[in-house]
Amino acid sequence: MFGTIFKPLFRNKKFIVAFSVFILIVLMGILGPILYPKDPTSFAGKMESPPSKEFPLGTDTYGGDLLAKLLNGIRTSLYIGFLTAVISMVIGLLIGSISAVKGGVVDDILMSFTNIVLTIPNILLAILVATYLKVRSAEVVAILLGVLGWPWFARAIRAQLLSLINREYVYLSRLAGYTDLQLAFEDLIPGIATYALMAFILFINGGILGEAGLSLIGLGPTKGVSLGIILQWAVLMEAVRRGLWWWFIPPGLIIVALTSSLLIVTTTMDEIFNPRLRER
Amino acid sequence: MGETILELRDTKAYYIIEKNFVRAVDGVSLEIKDEIIGIVGESGSGKSTLSNVMLMSIKRPLTFMGGSVKLYTNGNELELTNINREELQKKIWGRETSIIPQSAMNALMPTKRIRSYILDVMKSHFEEIDEKEIIEKAINRFEEIGISGEFINRYPFELSGGMKQRAVIAVATLLNPRLLIADEPTSALDVATQKMVLKTIKELKDKKIVKSIVFITHDIATVRQIADKMVVMYAGKIIEEGTTDEMVSEPLHPYTKGLLFSVVTPEPEVKRRGITYIPGTPPDLINPPPGCRFHPRCPERMEICDKEEPLLKNINQRRVACFLYEKR
Amino acid sequence: MRDHTLNPFIKYLGRRFFFLLLTYFIALTIVFILPRAIPGNPLASILSRIFQTGQANPELLRSVERTLMEEFGLGKPWFVQYVEFITKALRGDLGTSISSYPKKTLELIIPVIPWTLILLIPSILIAWIIGNTLGAFAGYRRGSLVDRIALNTSLIIGQIPYYWLGMLLIFFLSVKLKIFPGQGGYTQGTIPNLSFSFLLDVLSHYILPSLSIIISALGGWAIGTRMLVVNELDSDYVSFSEHLGVKSKTIFGYVFRNSLLPQVTGLALSLGGALGGALITEIIFNYPGTGYLLFRALSTLDYPLIQGIFVILIASIYLANFFVDFIYAIIDPRIRLGQGES
Repeated sequence: MFGTIFKPLFRNKKFIVAFSVFILIVLMGILGPILYPKDPTSFAGKMESPPSKEFPLGTDTYGGDLLAKLLNGIRTSLYIGFLTAVISMVIGLLIGSISAVKGGVVDDILMSFTNIVLTIPNILLAILVATYLKVRSAEVVAILLGVLGWPWFARAIRAQLLSLINREYVYLSRLAGYTDLQLAFEDLIPGIATYALMAFILFINGGILGEAGLSLIGLGPTKGVSLGIILQWAVLMEAVRRGLWWWFIPPGLIIVALTSSLLIVTTTMDEIFNPRLRER
Repeated sequence: MGETILELRDTKAYYIIEKNFVRAVDGVSLEIKDEIIGIVGESGSGKSTLSNVMLMSIKRPLTFMGGSVKLYTNGNELELTNINREELQKKIWGRETSIIPQSAMNALMPTKRIRSYILDVMKSHFEEIDEKEIIEKAINRFEEIGISGEFINRYPFELSGGMKQRAVIAVATLLNPRLLIADEPTSALDVATQKMVLKTIKELKDKKIVKSIVFITHDIATVRQIADKMVVMYAGKIIEEGTTDEMVSEPLHPYTKGLLFSVVTPEPEVKRRGITYIPGTPPDLINPPPGCRFHPRCPERMEICDKEEPLLKNINQRRVACFLYEKR
Repeated sequence: MRDHTLNPFIKYLGRRFFFLLLTYFIALTIVFILPRAIPGNPLASILSRIFQTGQANPELLRSVERTLMEEFGLGKPWFVQYVEFITKALRGDLGTSISSYPKKTLELIIPVIPWTLILLIPSILIAWIIGNTLGAFAGYRRGSLVDRIALNTSLIIGQIPYYWLGMLLIFFLSVKLKIFPGQGGYTQGTIPNLSFSFLLDVLSHYILPSLSIIISALGGWAIGTRMLVVNELDSDYVSFSEHLGVKSKTIFGYVFRNSLLPQVTGLALSLGGALGGALITEIIFNYPGTGYLLFRALSTLDYPLIQGIFVILIASIYLANFFVDFIYAIIDPRIRLGQGES
């Protein structure tokens, strides 16, 4: 089934380019630290040296090897992004589908709740919560971002399910005596699967950008290196104003490449799976 | 009967979707005179596309493939296929021709009062306008059509379905166009409102607000109530044409017969024969059946039907495209 | 048909007001619960930090402790604490700062608020206007070269995080090309006043942080409006207007107007995120606004100040939200005259 769905994607040039960029960065995060096994936190030698043969991306104020930091940072940031996406996705799916299927009072309550979370400025709330957490692992940061990111997705899933449920074939399945579970697996899930996949990708983006933002305020993971942490130290050590470009440009480039490649992946998926757009 | 208003000659318009041609209008010739003409067909017969061809309102993926569309204005003869969209919009649409769209429910600009929309329409056609005079005329037109002139001060969402439909008709005929195309104008309305709107449309002609009306519908019963002449379309082609009375009392083409008998009608004649329906579905317009396009569904098909294409031929005052009526 | 029992405009605004008030209470409640719910008494940790620095004399320390105990109402039942907290918050009494003891937190916050507002409001409005206009033109010419270029650049520019864009702007335009100053709200050492030269100085410091907010927000608006315009072009009123011979320019005006309406609500929803973004931008630019104050409060763990900043920021966001709702209700007749929100 997946073969026939995804085949048209791999005939689309834009998709192939974006997808390759994404895979390349993922490989950098997974294999990088193994192929370039330097400790990102130890003193590597020279301080604040520009890129050289010995340090391909130079070093920071504490003599940390920035390439090693970058590779490990990609790994952490991807991990946080992925975990954030899983959390937001699960919450959003649960709330959205319960709301759609149950309807009535349950729907009203869940949707008011969703609207409230949507209206509470979530960056601010994340900052506030993070303030009180003295130890913040990558997982804690991901949970924080994930728990605040789901409302728009829950609303969209609810709307999609409602329009599906009202379609004829679902009605026929009901008449045919399908159980709720059968109904969900055979009629409803396929209807929202591609949409959910696209939302998942956007959540990954949200997680990566959110981590970097929190880190810049000083509320990122307290242990380890992430792309945000590299930027945070670059700001703290005034790398920008002192012209140490090798410190802050690569992590930002990676963030932009990662998030825009993922975004292009979703928009091309949307073009291909959403025939209304195709005819334009 | 009367002067010719619009003349189509062998027009073809296809939708081009992923290198496939959907032959929605495939060689249609038709003369529209000073009359109400009903165009009947199932969905997918190309009747709505034909209305676009009449106005030469062609937008991708619809593509005009050939033929001639002549509009006769006072003494002038305009070949619409030679005029670009921008010019049509400026000089023809709204002035010489007008439409009542398929979904009149959302046809009016939703966030503007009707009054201000009317002024926009007028400003588009005339350099200088006298707002007071226009509003006065518009109010008159509203009242002529049977709704309160006060409605022009409202937003479209403040009107009920039937009111909205009639407001659309009033706005569409502000400039007394010669030709009015009504595309399924009543299909979204309840039966009582339907009757009222039909009456309104008929009155447009009686009061000489417009010269001719093309009434497009899938519902043959509606056409009977309103049209002088009837045209039946099937799979992008006209298969039969004649005065409404004749067509109803003596349909020639097997498809027309099927259509007629598939409707509940008050005619005792039809009632006695019972309700039949046409089995099968309209053909795929990408690969239409060879020969007569109706032959796979035709109860009276003959050997020749899937081999040769029947031409639209004159029989007395009518035209029909069927081998049953060809002398061989 | 037109005489409603209650003016729908008022009804709509009332509903929005109630919703925002409710949400604000929930936000306040979260601010209240957090320090009390998190294991390891944050107050104790503040005090121990002050002990550690060893700068404070015992007398001052005791007075800080007393103030804290009193303001946090520790030792009293939680609901008493809660009621005290809410009433104080509504009166604008947000407690006493620790790092700048004995100043009230409000005294510290009020002077920085204008800086943030001046940075944030014009920037997001400019981004909204330019982005929407660009998106509308791209959508109107959908499929054209202009559209594709605009769409793809917006997609990528929209992905540049504002903070990193800020760093790039500082690096290239300030450090390398030395066109604009790269930090602060005004030249250090000058005293804020209303002279022309000072305002000019503020303006030159303003450009880079504002630009980083504008550029990074622009892409999102452009893409959103483009999509709305493309949808709107498909609607029945567009085709009807065309066939009535309404000028293309006028029709574009209709489409633009109707596409902007949902974007007005979008503006309200984006305010929280934009504010968060502005806070970080301020930190990068050492810009003397709320973000910078928050950053200082965070690094000294000045909890009352942090809390105070939040109470104020969230309140301002909701006020702005309500203001946008108000504008929306005025410009969309469907709400003003009561046809429900969609």
